[in-house]
Amino acid sequence: MSDDGSPADAPTTGSLGRSVRRKEDQRLVTGHGHYVTDVELPRMRHVAFLRSPYGHARITGVDAAAAREAGYRVFTGEDFAHVALRAQSALPSYVETDQPVLAYEKACFAGEPVAAVVAADRYRAEDGLELVEVDYEALPATVCAWDEPTEPVHPEAPDNVLLQRTFDAGSVSDAFAAADLVVERELVTNRHAGNPMECRAGVALWDAAAGKLTFWNGTQVPHIVRNMVAELMGLPEGNVRVIAPDVGGGFGVKAVLYPEDVALCLMAREMPGIPLKWVEDRAEHLLAATHARDHRYLMKAGFSAEGRLLAVEADVTCNVGAYSVYPWTAGIEPLMAGGLLSGPYKLENYRCTVRGVATNTAPSGPYRGVARPASVFAMEAMFDHAATRLGIDPIEIRRRNVITPEDIPYKMPSRLVDDSGHYAECLDKALDALGYDVLRAEQERRRGTDEPPIGIGVALYNELTGLGRAASAGPRMPFRTGHDACTVRMNPDGRVTVISGVTSQGQGLETTMAQIVADAIGVPYEDVDVRIGDTDEALWGFGAFSSRQAVIGGGAAHNTALAVKDKVLDLAAGLIEAAVDDLRIENGEVYVVGEPKPQISVAEVARVAYLESNRLPEGIEPGLDATRFFDPIRGAFAAGAQVAAIEVDRVTGELRILKYVCVEDAGRAMHPQIVDGQIAGSIAQGLGGAMYEHLVYDEAGNLSTGTLLDYLMPTSAEIPDMVIGHVSHPAANPLGVRGVGEGGTLGPNAVLAGALHDALGIDIDTLPISPASVWKELQ
Amino acid sequence: MKCAPFDYVRASSVEEVVKVLAESDGDGKILAGGQSLVPVLALRMARPSVLVDVNRIPGLGAIRPSGDAVEVGALVRHSRLVEQTNHPLLAEAARWIGHTAIRARGTAGGSVAHADPSAELPVVAVGTGATATVAGPSGVRSVAAEDLFLSALVTSLDEDEMITGLRFPLPTRWGFAEFARRHGDFALVTAVVTELGGAVRITLGGVASVPQRAAHAEQVLADGGTAREAARAAADEIDPTADLHGSAPFRRAIAGEMVRRALAQAGIGQE
Repeated sequence: MSDDGSPADAPTTGSLGRSVRRKEDQRLVTGHGHYVTDVELPRMRHVAFLRSPYGHARITGVDAAAAREAGYRVFTGEDFAHVALRAQSALPSYVETDQPVLAYEKACFAGEPVAAVVAADRYRAEDGLELVEVDYEALPATVCAWDEPTEPVHPEAPDNVLLQRTFDAGSVSDAFAAADLVVERELVTNRHAGNPMECRAGVALWDAAAGKLTFWNGTQVPHIVRNMVAELMGLPEGNVRVIAPDVGGGFGVKAVLYPEDVALCLMAREMPGIPLKWVEDRAEHLLAATHARDHRYLMKAGFSAEGRLLAVEADVTCNVGAYSVYPWTAGIEPLMAGGLLSGPYKLENYRCTVRGVATNTAPSGPYRGVARPASVFAMEAMFDHAATRLGIDPIEIRRRNVITPEDIPYKMPSRLVDDSGHYAECLDKALDALGYDVLRAEQERRRGTDEPPIGIGVALYNELTGLGRAASAGPRMPFRTGHDACTVRMNPDGRVTVISGVTSQGQGLETTMAQIVADAIGVPYEDVDVRIGDTDEALWGFGAFSSRQAVIGGGAAHNTALAVKDKVLDLAAGLIEAAVDDLRIENGEVYVVGEPKPQISVAEVARVAYLESNRLPEGIEPGLDATRFFDPIRGAFAAGAQVAAIEVDRVTGELRILKYVCVEDAGRAMHPQIVDGQIAGSIAQGLGGAMYEHLVYDEAGNLSTGTLLDYLMPTSAEIPDMVIGHVSHPAANPLGVRGVGEGGTLGPNAVLAGALHDALGIDIDTLPISPASVWKELQ
Repeated sequence: MKCAPFDYVRASSVEEVVKVLAESDGDGKILAGGQSLVPVLALRMARPSVLVDVNRIPGLGAIRPSGDAVEVGALVRHSRLVEQTNHPLLAEAARWIGHTAIRARGTAGGSVAHADPSAELPVVAVGTGATATVAGPSGVRSVAAEDLFLSALVTSLDEDEMITGLRFPLPTRWGFAEFARRHGDFALVTAVVTELGGAVRITLGGVASVPQRAAHAEQVLADGGTAREAARAAADEIDPTADLHGSAPFRRAIAGEMVRRALAQAGIGQE
């Protein structure tokens, strides 16, 4: 990262482009953050969930009498059988299925909530769970999505396929017939958990007199939660208030409305005036929060002798778990995989069938990078393999196929439109930073010695970010997530309050929104405060997912701030009797063109707007505020290149990362330090997935990796120093920004597998890469 | 993930510990550093009726050189083993235990009594021929490390006995090598090489239910074999089981390599 976090060409005025001090850090780093766990209310009670110990079982009886006799309030599946979570999509092949709030007819995965106990504290609540007797009749479990099911998860889908779609462009059969080389691989990627530092959490409180529900929820998507909870509970949406206070990481797993969330709200309505709190522990998180990335790719690619990619045919199976995740549907991973598989490469002939298959495992959902860490791995494996077979340098073969700026706008075979094209530039810069030629020479020198062999791996990717209404239409859900709202209020003292629909799980959105608004109006960054995460305050925001908030929430903040600026200028023009077009605002002062000294302060204008109506010019209303929506319609592709050099211990199979480089196009980097932090964090998460993290079920559907002793998260000791570089090509949106929240996760699988192929000539077909798996390939 | 109810006694003497444990009819547990016990309590995999907190008992926290050995009190924390210079092998082994927070609380007596076959200190105990001082209702006895570990998490201690101290002989030469998935994880394989009174011991952790001497490999060295030959013998004589992190053949190969590295560090059997 750069020394002070700011690029050398940082602007001299305004806050955008500079690593200003983050607004949220004072409280977060001094222990004054306020998370759902910190919510303490009078009469509060604690909830624990009884979870199915079976992967698949009929529930033949639930006996809560002993628990009730001991004084516990107990809820079972029958209590909420009238409510079901039913993720909807208009895609023709999609099979709609219900997810119960608490399982009552059968349990479909180990860890599924079956009953809930309310007690004075969590210890007693867990004591109460031991008094609830559930009778199960075990059913055969299906764990692997590409095995034949013996007993379907849902009767509506006898083959367990909840969704299937074929992407088709050009003619793959003609192209394969003309190809000089056809490469075929079967690739399997590993199932992950999101594992934010703060697990899921909720506090629900029902005010019976007002008929109003308040739900403190550690969510990425408070407005979606409000909308869904109101619908599921039959409440007017205005009577539901969702508050997402500080949230400690999300990564997608908190962009889902879970049965536990709905249960908590339904239980609260049964216990008016008593706040009910549930804080997920790590064991529950690994069992029952959404999983991801359990995929198989059957890949076939045709190349010309010169290494041109002629055709790709793929069959992608995604294990979507027991339920179609609410509200995103079982399509979230397969559709993303099929839409983005060809990545930043030119391709005319493409046939790809994707399917989401239900199994008796925890539901799969959105997780940072959604499907792309797997699809990039699959695509890059084609190039690595073809390069070896054709005797072409692995870098060169990519150069011959990558989309260039001249190709823009480039319509991908899935009909998504790439607006970037700057992949080769990212690659060049990354190879420079890596010291490619020096490493190739060292690699050569080591051949034939006892020293550990060196390998170099590369991945290029196009990360689709900030999806507007046209780009977010893929899963055809009954809503489009292309827009966000923002409200900007200038207060009577000239300071500004921003009430934004964005949410933050640590990404520094308060800072970014303040920078955008401060610069758009022309007031100091310090004079802007941002309030987020409360649906009673913000008009609307879909929340954090798809690397959308800088683009969409940021665009809304920018446009809204400009509207307020216009109001300030109109009022100022009247007050100082100048032409509005001659006015500009800088650092909280209003200047007239040609005058070196300010004519009036923004604070004085604001005071007039609220307190001195006697000074209001003719035709100007009191107040200085505005609310605007923004939708970019399309998305903004962020180009990225990752390269790394590794060395391998031939005896133990361990790999050591010598150097890791990432170069991305963030468009205009609004806060360079936050951008670098996003990239570094997502690469670390990608490396964790490539080398350590793996959720494993046994054949009966029991999770074998139920604690962090078995599910290995990378720590700082496992993550190498990295070099992060940037290219900057502003996107076509008000701020010129491209999302950077997820791209880093897309590279590591492909980079490390490619580097091992380069070092040892071995093919990595199954992830994660472990010493044991490398050792096995070397025997 | 909250523990079931239990009674709590803060003991002020070893005699009190033994008395409470005896009265609990085998249902009591000693709480020292808590680094292994508390997680299994939280998972409700252990449900003792009473926890006897030994942390305030005086006199159990000393490290003392004693002739050709070092005496370590049961309550000595791993972080102090790292810092001490009297027993370099112990210091090296303790560096591999968990992370800073775990080493700050975890105790020598607790780790040995817990008898995790992948933990570092049990391997060092067997590798150095350590003895444990054990207090029970009928007084104090000494137990050799080799007689202490019966199987995974099972020792020959009676339910009303407590380890009060450990005596680790000082090897004339030693080597320590460990292989784990991540820094601070329990070992897939630990190899400890010690030279005691001219004889070389090779002890492996993580390959069986208790720390295991590689007798054939030791014999190879005694017969003048090289480290490589001994490593191969060690790999051949063990019978490791597969788990999520590696197959049996992989563990066997890693064990051989760790023995080779530990012997190299000790300067034994080098060509």
